[in-house]
Amino acid sequence: MPREIALGDALVPGLLVMFVLALLALWLLDWVAGRVGLYRLVWHPPLFRLAVFVCVFGAFALFLN
Amino acid sequence: MAAVNPTANAQGTREVVVETLREEASTWLFVAKTLIAFFATGWLAMRFDLPAPSTAMLTTIIVANRQSGMVLAKSFYRGIGTVAGATAAVGIVAAFPQQRDLFLLALSLWIGICAGGATLYRNFKSYAFVLGGYTAAIVAIPVIENPPGVFDSAVARLSEVLLGLLVSGMVNDVVFPSRMRDVLRRAARDQFAHFLGFVRGATGGSIPREAMENAHLRFVRDAVTLEDLRSSVIFEDAEARARSNHMRLFNQRFMAASTSFQSLHHLVNRLKRAKRDLAASTLIRLYAPIGDALDMPIEAGTGARLLLPRLAAARDTMRGNVATLRATLADTQDIRDFDTGASLLLRFVDELHAYVDAAASLQAPRVLGGSAEKVRFDRGNDWLGAGIATFRTTLTMLVLGLFWIDSAWPLGSSAMLLATVFAGLFATTPNPTRVTWVVMLGYLSGMAAGFICEFFLLTQVDGYGLLVFAVAPFLAIGLVMMMSRKLAFYGLGWAMGFAYILALKNVQVYDPAHFINDAIAQVVGLGAAAVSFVVIPPAIGSAWLRRRQLARLRGQVALAAEAPLPGLRHRFESVNHDLVSQVVAQTQPGSADSRALIAWALAVHETGRALIEMRHDMARRDVPPTLSPYLQAALHTLARFYEKPDAHGYQLARDAVATAIASVGEHAGQAHLLEHLHLVRMALLDGESVLAAYMPSAPLAKEITHAP
Repeated sequence: MPREIALGDALVPGLLVMFVLALLALWLLDWVAGRVGLYRLVWHPPLFRLAVFVCVFGAFALFLN
Repeated sequence: MAAVNPTANAQGTREVVVETLREEASTWLFVAKTLIAFFATGWLAMRFDLPAPSTAMLTTIIVANRQSGMVLAKSFYRGIGTVAGATAAVGIVAAFPQQRDLFLLALSLWIGICAGGATLYRNFKSYAFVLGGYTAAIVAIPVIENPPGVFDSAVARLSEVLLGLLVSGMVNDVVFPSRMRDVLRRAARDQFAHFLGFVRGATGGSIPREAMENAHLRFVRDAVTLEDLRSSVIFEDAEARARSNHMRLFNQRFMAASTSFQSLHHLVNRLKRAKRDLAASTLIRLYAPIGDALDMPIEAGTGARLLLPRLAAARDTMRGNVATLRATLADTQDIRDFDTGASLLLRFVDELHAYVDAAASLQAPRVLGGSAEKVRFDRGNDWLGAGIATFRTTLTMLVLGLFWIDSAWPLGSSAMLLATVFAGLFATTPNPTRVTWVVMLGYLSGMAAGFICEFFLLTQVDGYGLLVFAVAPFLAIGLVMMMSRKLAFYGLGWAMGFAYILALKNVQVYDPAHFINDAIAQVVGLGAAAVSFVVIPPAIGSAWLRRRQLARLRGQVALAAEAPLPGLRHRFESVNHDLVSQVVAQTQPGSADSRALIAWALAVHETGRALIEMRHDMARRDVPPTLSPYLQAALHTLARFYEKPDAHGYQLARDAVATAIASVGEHAGQAHLLEHLHLVRMALLDGESVLAAYMPSAPLAKEITHAP
């Protein structure tokens, strides 16, 4: 993972960019899951959502380099 | 439970203990969650090597709330506000890097605009504005000596604030969440059960005016509470978000049905008062099938679906009964009143059916995509009140900034920062002067605790674990106080003062002189915010704003009479409800102001709805050109009278409505317009309504006359 990312020649922490991207991805997944009714099959939706976020964030950090 | 505790006494004690424990448990749960969020944020911020972990930690305290959904909703808007504030700070610094006066002016204006925007919203959107101002200040002020550093400062503050928001959102969502969704569901059920119960109870005939006013207040509160809850819950729960439009539709139909219901009962009451018992009792007989249809246990959900066929059957029965009941009347005036009432009643049944239908479809296990009609809840905002908040905050910032520049005070930035936070945070509370003083006391004691903690405890400990043990007890005191009703603001001040003055960072600096100087600067900033609330009192809760809101409410009739028709029904109802609930929240129940407000609200609701229905009828069928000018004149004079009520306008409006009725009578096939006009005329002639003060023969002594 790049430590810093240049946004218009300004160096931004790579982690922050990843984080925001992961958040957007989570928002999308959450919306889909809500539409489909996936959360009815899950015991603790917030915990599930947190786990999904960790997966997404981790995957972004691992694969985007 | 009774088997375990045979005596009633033991059971009572047990209940008390359980009740107390439950209350205590929720307090301690809040404290635990906030502490976890606070220290987890601090630890992460230190791990990430952020320059000011204390900013992140302070953020968790500002966001702390008992309800999980609230935290998420707040966090979302705070995130938006933070990003906007950081962007503004970069822009302002970039525009005036060399001009400290212009820089301070621009910054003050931005903070003022944010404080003003915060007063426009009554849910968490206002926090976005507060945070927008606060972030701009914390980004821009520290780099005032070093403008090129603004970007780094913005990124660092943004990371810190977002980290704080995220951690506290996560902790509140995952650790023993208390769900707003359940509150929303309960509120919707209560609203449904209460309204249908009231309708069922009212089939007996007339309801005293006082009961009517109370019911109206309750309906208004219910509608606005539901909307507020809905706008928060959608952040908590993906399913609630998918149903959000249904919920809105449910609420809109509730407002429509409750307005028709009230018009109907005012009509019956008026007939009774005018000793026209025959017409009144015939109407009540026509009404009876609704009572029968509702005569079953009422609950939202599956119960609501059972009600639907019964209501449809009642509607058919009533349609059939209209002709037979009408035939029993002989007097032309009775027939006229009966026709008016019958059309109102049929409208009400249709709306009730639609409302129950919406309630039933809310419970459907699957969301029917796109079937819900798009509706909005419009707010009645007062831009002048927001302007005052903007002016006050800008002025405070400018005065502090001037003092800072002229005195070359090294810690002036601390003072400015604190003033920003508190001027924004408390601009929306009804009594900010008192609140700010209480917070300031709490802040002072929190800083004293911070002094003890920092110089007697933190100097002895090593490592983050021990730091947690040293800091937690002091912070917990403030958090417990935040949860008690009396000390809530004192506790908030304590927790913020404590967390902020400690200024925990990776390499902690122990400098008593700096500590005390900083404390003095922060108190000056807080004091400036408090003084500003005294010098320019907030519009919220003042008689002046109330007068404006009443005028706005009356202006709703003009809206009903003249605004373009598409979507007007919803717009009229939602703005009305929002305005009434605002004023109700700001007045003492039972005071002259509050009574005048309700009296006006009832008149406006009734007349406005009748005018909208009439205009719909006019648009649906062609109105002969010879008739249309009279109807337009009636609409116009009514609008003018409600905008500026006086005896002259009253006479004009009354005469115009009478002329319109007469000319409708002269045109064949326009009888459907007559019902609406009759309703308006009866509302105008009602001797018990607020309009009585403008009637030519009435004495002008009632206190209600002073209200407008």
